[in-house]
Amino acid sequence: MAGILDVPKPRINCSMLSQFINRAVCFVGRVEKVHPTGKMFTVMDGEGNTATVELNEPLEEELSGIVEVIGMVSNKGEIMASTYNMLREDKGVPFDLELYNEALKVIHDFPQHYPFQVAASG
Amino acid sequence: MANLSAGAIEALANGSGWNEAVLQLVNIRKIDGGSGPSRFRVMMSDGLHTLSSFMLSTQLNYMAEENILVPNCVCVLKRQVTNMLKDGRRVVIILEIEVIKPAEEVAGKIGDPTPYSDGQSKGQPPAPVPESRPPLQQQNRNDVTRNLKRDFIKKAPSALPDTPGGSSKVVPIASLNPYQSKWTIRARVTNKSSIRTWSNSRGDGKLFSMEIVDESGEIRVTGFNQEVDKFFSLIEVGKVYYISKGSLKIANKQYTSVKNDYEMTLNGESTIIPCEDNCDVPMVQCDFVSIGDLENRDKDAIVDVIGVCKSVDEVTRLTTKSNREVSKRTLSLMDMSGKLVTVTLWGEEAEKFEGSGQPIVAIKGAKLSDFGGRSLSASFNSTMMINPDIPEAYKLRGWFDKEGHAMEGQSLTEVRGGSGRLMENWKTLADVKSEHLGHGDKADYYSCIATIVFLRKENCLYQACPSQDCNKKVVDQQNGMFRCEKCDKEFPNFKYRLILSANIADYADNQWVTCFQESAEAILGQNAAYLGQLKDSNESAFDEIFQQANFNTFIFRNRVKLETYNDESRIKATVMDVKPVDHREYSKRLIVNIRKMGAK
Repeated sequence: MAGILDVPKPRINCSMLSQFINRAVCFVGRVEKVHPTGKMFTVMDGEGNTATVELNEPLEEELSGIVEVIGMVSNKGEIMASTYNMLREDKGVPFDLELYNEALKVIHDFPQHYPFQVAASG
Repeated sequence: MANLSAGAIEALANGSGWNEAVLQLVNIRKIDGGSGPSRFRVMMSDGLHTLSSFMLSTQLNYMAEENILVPNCVCVLKRQVTNMLKDGRRVVIILEIEVIKPAEEVAGKIGDPTPYSDGQSKGQPPAPVPESRPPLQQQNRNDVTRNLKRDFIKKAPSALPDTPGGSSKVVPIASLNPYQSKWTIRARVTNKSSIRTWSNSRGDGKLFSMEIVDESGEIRVTGFNQEVDKFFSLIEVGKVYYISKGSLKIANKQYTSVKNDYEMTLNGESTIIPCEDNCDVPMVQCDFVSIGDLENRDKDAIVDVIGVCKSVDEVTRLTTKSNREVSKRTLSLMDMSGKLVTVTLWGEEAEKFEGSGQPIVAIKGAKLSDFGGRSLSASFNSTMMINPDIPEAYKLRGWFDKEGHAMEGQSLTEVRGGSGRLMENWKTLADVKSEHLGHGDKADYYSCIATIVFLRKENCLYQACPSQDCNKKVVDQQNGMFRCEKCDKEFPNFKYRLILSANIADYADNQWVTCFQESAEAILGQNAAYLGQLKDSNESAFDEIFQQANFNTFIFRNRVKLETYNDESRIKATVMDVKPVDHREYSKRLIVNIRKMGAK
């Protein structure tokens, strides 16, 4: 799994999943349902669409709120997570997922101004 | 003459009325009304008779002034009211009229009408039986009778309710004028002042005023002394009343936005009776001005505005020149013009105002000021409505929820230092230089997001006069006493105050700024007294505070002005306010700006 940390991980939402199959991505969303096995959960993005996240290991903690997932997109459009991170909202500043989604669209609409791919691979 | 309403003149002249009478305008004449607005007297013909006692209501004066109403044109009288003068003559006030055939398409006078003599109806009941008509109309007898009968049937289910006393007919507000005394109106109170008192060399007294509205228009009503005692407690805003027998005089437009050439004063004969059946009387009449158009209005104009309350300040209290303490609150309104304006509320309105959830705020009768660009003030004559139940409000809410909320909006009001949340005029530090802010006659204010890159800790504290409101630097007398030149006193102590030079930077440029007490305390995160104590006792801890304060990012509200010392001019930048960055607001603004640039 060391490999995924070295490659660029574009931030995407659900509607972009199909364009990133077999690539490493970073996905931020709100945890919806956790599968009873603890190896799978669903997340909702800022547009209200849902994606499925699969884990290698079952969860060891209770998952809720906003998570940032890093993983590969499978052929079926699921995110095979390498790692995840819960964003704490208890500091009194709620995470505005819709606003995040707007920023995300800006990044994708103006790739010339957000050359993360080049920077990371270089 | 086939298309004129034959018989309508007689019906109108004797007060029985006629709906949508088609008449030919024979003559129109201007009557100068002394100090008041001029009126137009009109002679109309129905092909049978002419009648010269038509008056154009002053709201329609433009139709005469713009030559819409000219002799020979054929009009339909949509709304009128017949008033009886003291001597029994009747005057037909035209409230709404439409030209259906302009004069140039009419081949002169239609028919051969004879002047209708209304003197005959003197002392008779308003609806005379056809047999009592004067002999003059004998030749048209059959015709007229038929028309009158038709009209009686039409009139039966009259929309106008009778007054409780049954003495006089309910008339529209628009028809009121100083030349008649016997009338009753049915109107809704939209605004009522508190009781105000005066006392001067000619004595003292009290008064209150209110604004009332019906479907035809609005008028301001004032009551003095006895009328205050008699009516003030009876009147409730929002309720409908029958009002009769007030005195009318020319309105003083300086104090009111009420659209009426007259205003009413209640007198000893006036009566006000509550009316229960009021559903058809409109609530408030507003003539909203777009916020974007306020720039083109004169100072002190009284306007009606509606907008989304984008932000609200806290209530502040201040003392007026007459030593009265008043509450004050400012809010910022935005409408579909994309412009913002600052509105100041006073007194109770300021204290009660609840601005959470960005409500729609409509203000009737706000006063336009040119203080700090353009701003509005809601005075005691203004009516404020939160989320009013009117179409404009729904339209605005729809717009704001859909697109308006993402707009930054441009404020007509220049933001003054320390005025809280009204943070507009965002600039980068490079903009400030390239746009030469501060080079004008007046100081410029801007907001920016910048990071502290250097703080000059030398001489950042000074010894100031310990008196409450004096911050003058004291002179150390070297004998344990400190002298304040301003207070002309010596004190055994002093207080430390901050005057901090900071270098702030954003992605584009950097800038030296001066921060005084409050803003310096906000940047350093410590108060001046504690810093002074540390400086004298623990220098390393003092240094540590300055190290910690570096590279923090804030919202700065700065004032810039070109200042000249010894023939050398330089821009002096002073920090008026420092606040932590609201990253959500900041991101929103950045996204809006990026999208704006992307659209170009």
